[in-house]
Amino acid sequence: MKFMFQQAFRSGKFVTGFSIFMAILLVVLIYPLIIKDPPLTIIGRGTFFEPGIYVNVYDSLGSPQYTLNLKGADARRVASRLNDDDRAAMQEWLVAAGVPEAEIDTADTPLLLELWFKTYDPTLSVPGMTNARRNYFIRLNNSLQGLLDPNDAILAARDEEGALQQVGTIAQTDFVNVGQVPNVRLLPLGTDNFGRDVLTELVAATRVSLQIGFVAGFIATLIGLVIGLISGYIGGIVDDSLMFITNLFTVIPSFVLLILISFSIGQDKRGAFTVAAVIGFTSWVWTARAVRSQVISLRNRDHVNLSRLSGHSLFSIILRDILPYIASYVVMALILQISAGILAEAGLSILGLGPRTTEVPTLGLMMNWAMIYQAHILGKWWAFFPVILVIALIAFSMNLMNTGLDQVFNPALRD
Amino acid sequence: MRNVILEVKDLTTKYITRFKEDIYAVDHVSFKVEEGQSLGIAGESGCGKSTLALSLMGYYFPPLHYTSGEIIIDGLNITGMPPDDVRRTILGREIAYIPQAAMNALNPTQKVIGFIEDVVQAHYPDTSKKDIYDLARQRFELLGLPAEVLQRYPVELSGGMKQRTVIAVSVILGPKILIADEPSSALDVTSQKMVIKMLRDLMENGYIKAMIFITHELPLLYNVTDHIMVMYAGQLVELASAQEAVFDPLHPYSKGLMGSIIVPEEGLRNVKLTAIPGVPPNLKNPPPGCRFADRCKYVQPECRTVLGQQLREAHGGRSYRCIFPETVLRETYANEQAHGQTREQPHVNTPR
Amino acid sequence: MKAYASYFSNKLLWFLVTLVAAFLLNFFLPRLMPGDPVAAIVARMAQGMTNTSGVQAIYEQYTELFGTNLPMHEQFFLYVRNVLRGDFGYSFSQYPRTVADVIGASIWWTIALQLPAILVGWIIGNTLGVLAAYRRGGFDKVLMPSSIFVSNLPAFGMAVILLVVFGVTLRWFPTSGGYGFDMIPNLSWDFIWSVIVHYQLPFWSIVLITIGGQAIGMRSMSIYELNADYVKYSRFMGIKDRQIVGYVFRNAMLPQITGLALAIGTMVGGALVAEIIFSYPGLGSTILTAVLGGDYPLISATTLIVTIMVLIANFAIEIIYGFLDPRIKAAQSD
Repeated sequence: MKFMFQQAFRSGKFVTGFSIFMAILLVVLIYPLIIKDPPLTIIGRGTFFEPGIYVNVYDSLGSPQYTLNLKGADARRVASRLNDDDRAAMQEWLVAAGVPEAEIDTADTPLLLELWFKTYDPTLSVPGMTNARRNYFIRLNNSLQGLLDPNDAILAARDEEGALQQVGTIAQTDFVNVGQVPNVRLLPLGTDNFGRDVLTELVAATRVSLQIGFVAGFIATLIGLVIGLISGYIGGIVDDSLMFITNLFTVIPSFVLLILISFSIGQDKRGAFTVAAVIGFTSWVWTARAVRSQVISLRNRDHVNLSRLSGHSLFSIILRDILPYIASYVVMALILQISAGILAEAGLSILGLGPRTTEVPTLGLMMNWAMIYQAHILGKWWAFFPVILVIALIAFSMNLMNTGLDQVFNPALRD
Repeated sequence: MRNVILEVKDLTTKYITRFKEDIYAVDHVSFKVEEGQSLGIAGESGCGKSTLALSLMGYYFPPLHYTSGEIIIDGLNITGMPPDDVRRTILGREIAYIPQAAMNALNPTQKVIGFIEDVVQAHYPDTSKKDIYDLARQRFELLGLPAEVLQRYPVELSGGMKQRTVIAVSVILGPKILIADEPSSALDVTSQKMVIKMLRDLMENGYIKAMIFITHELPLLYNVTDHIMVMYAGQLVELASAQEAVFDPLHPYSKGLMGSIIVPEEGLRNVKLTAIPGVPPNLKNPPPGCRFADRCKYVQPECRTVLGQQLREAHGGRSYRCIFPETVLRETYANEQAHGQTREQPHVNTPR
Repeated sequence: MKAYASYFSNKLLWFLVTLVAAFLLNFFLPRLMPGDPVAAIVARMAQGMTNTSGVQAIYEQYTELFGTNLPMHEQFFLYVRNVLRGDFGYSFSQYPRTVADVIGASIWWTIALQLPAILVGWIIGNTLGVLAAYRRGGFDKVLMPSSIFVSNLPAFGMAVILLVVFGVTLRWFPTSGGYGFDMIPNLSWDFIWSVIVHYQLPFWSIVLITIGGQAIGMRSMSIYELNADYVKYSRFMGIKDRQIVGYVFRNAMLPQITGLALAIGTMVGGALVAEIIFSYPGLGSTILTAVLGGDYPLISATTLIVTIMVLIANFAIEIIYGFLDPRIKAAQSD
């Protein structure tokens, strides 16, 4: 066993795959120690907040203020509220409203805005304009108000009579230091459709999915190993009947069984580990076939015959003379089963047959939520892309480890 | 002087490993094969005898690469010819090859006739299928193979039948020289006999003009060939007639090799079999002096220091690669024999 | 030919046995599960309902419909009769449509999408695999890592990526549906064009996933075959390299065909999930609506249909394989 691992680490592919997998595992283990928030708490009111650093506005007002004279600050401020598409839309509206095209210069902001405020009338109906488009112009018009105003913003408070009194101003050159604002939240991957922190959720989901993969993989490998060993070693009628069942389940698609069983169990009883067990119980077929063919090739080796003639028990022969020879093979099968289990959970969840949603997230459930809330069509990439990436990375690392092991143990495949 | 069918001059070929190392598996080998002659190549596994067979075809693909030297087949120098010309005009037509483990030499999903069609059309694209069939049928029957074989898939043939089919296919274009690499080693004794007989018939009936026969079974070599070439670590170490090479070897390596023949003859049971201790040198970094020095029991300090040892001519047109003159070697062997065990000339069984 | 007939009848028998087994599983599995499927459905339907007698009424109605109050053997015969009659009872979620009606509307979309996609992906993947093995060098170095990466993406992942890149960002193709949402299926050019345009993204996402997996398998099979003795022998008999690649392709392809037979179930499963991403009107989306609507008869029938489709595909592949590999014939005539 020790030798096996030493051998494995001489394969570049195995080491790469192992490193990726360990990196994922480390993040999954360390992250919750630092960020202790429960993964499914809803923190955002609203859906799909973009990734970024969220700074509390109220706290910023009370934080020490610094004056920084930065070149281009105004231009950036204007650009953030008035991009090229908006300018083109304004031109389109103005032309439709009868302004000669030659008079409009979309590059000259003050002139454009002056022309806009002079001409724009929300009640004016432009022929052929959809309602959505009209609303867009109303929103645009609102956001443009005071865009070029050079004056400070005024902070006011109510006095005893309830009248507003100016208590301070905020100049356009005022800054706060983010480190001094008491409430800042970093959302590296934004929030999801329910307003939950995607990164925290993703880490928790990865952990649960890995657990599902491991449980499913172990169950499948164990069943496959037992069936393969018995079938291959004993042979005869036992082999025939076991292989009949195995062949049946090879052609009957396992995901069909998965769907049927998961659906029959019902949403309420479907915990993450129930799903894992179901996946395990429907995916042992490949391991059983592979183990069986290995055992058959070992069955008549000299050392096995010797043990048999010396009267060792069936159990001890299998344990001492057969298992060590197929150990590497079983490990490889296990690795593949784990990654297949993670994929199966994801597929089931997208079909709406994943674990029940109240306790823990899984990668599949995150994908399912993102799809149901159309994150992909709305362009909210942070809700689904990291999930796909993690699934692909896990599968990729497992596959690399497997290929690496394969090349170590089957020299014929080395090229 | 008989017509020289194959002449090899200073041929060197190398393997380039995937770590970009050069391994010279055939190192400055020269020899000639005359018309009607069959030459045997002997040596341990990995000595370069199979590589030599591949190199003789003049058609190289990675990891084997041509380095230097010449191959002249019936007066035609094929080194330096464009590979596609070699393929079209030389392979199968001038020189043919029977691979090691010919059991798997035929494409499993093609009928024998299908492969023959491909072979013939690769050289003569305009030949009709009917002509090819007639040719194949005639050739198979002459060689004692039933014509039904043509319509069979390789899986439907027995091992011996497959091997004979491969031989018949190899000579379908009438090559002048046939290279057989362990053609019978995977077969049972009866099939072996039939294969050997077939090869002899090919020579005797003039289907081929010369043959190179490679095997690790020395008794077989002695019976089939009239000259034997012993290779060690990519080099030719001795070239002599079959009789001389087996019963009167000059090079210490040949001597050791012939000493390891198992001869199941009455009266020889007590002869101690001698195995040569040690392993051949690594060809990545061959020793600068004699390559056999580390395993040679007659080794002298100068064996390791005299560089670039050449083949020596001995009387009777034979040659060997050793720094000691023929007389010294014979004297040494005679002394040894006087003190050690005696051994009669082994009488070797002929699988006829 | 006699040998082939024996191979064929062998496979046919096996096909029928699996069919019966699949049918039995489809019937018994849900009934062997702990809990009462009808109760689960009713619980879902009755969410937010406080009137217990109302829940009870729904329960009884569904028990009647589903026949769970009958003894097991009667249920079974009822099920067999329904299946044989070709209607699978009423759909719960899309009442008054029958299950057969719902499936009939979606099955052709799935067949028309998946059959060509898996075939095209399989052919391209195998061709690329044999080329990678033969050429090695740069082609191999580019193709292999990308194939390995692609084959590790789940089918739905590929679907989402294609959808976001070509549907949402570049706007080259529509993002969902099988045809324009404002259209009614007919035989006009507009409609056919719309179907073709909607077809592209689902099609290519399945094709790409299939290519990845197949190319890797074919490459290692081909490397193995290229080292075979017949390749060396053919070369030394002066056969052109191009023709030798042909031999290798054919021989390496045979295990790939067997592989396809074994993997087709998984492929179809992945592709069904990919359909959902594109809201493609096939069986994948049908399963999703059935699951969301707690539509028991629909789920059961859809899974049965998918199983039968996979079994037929499997059978067809085995039959073709028998024609292609002479070793089968030899093995049967022994």
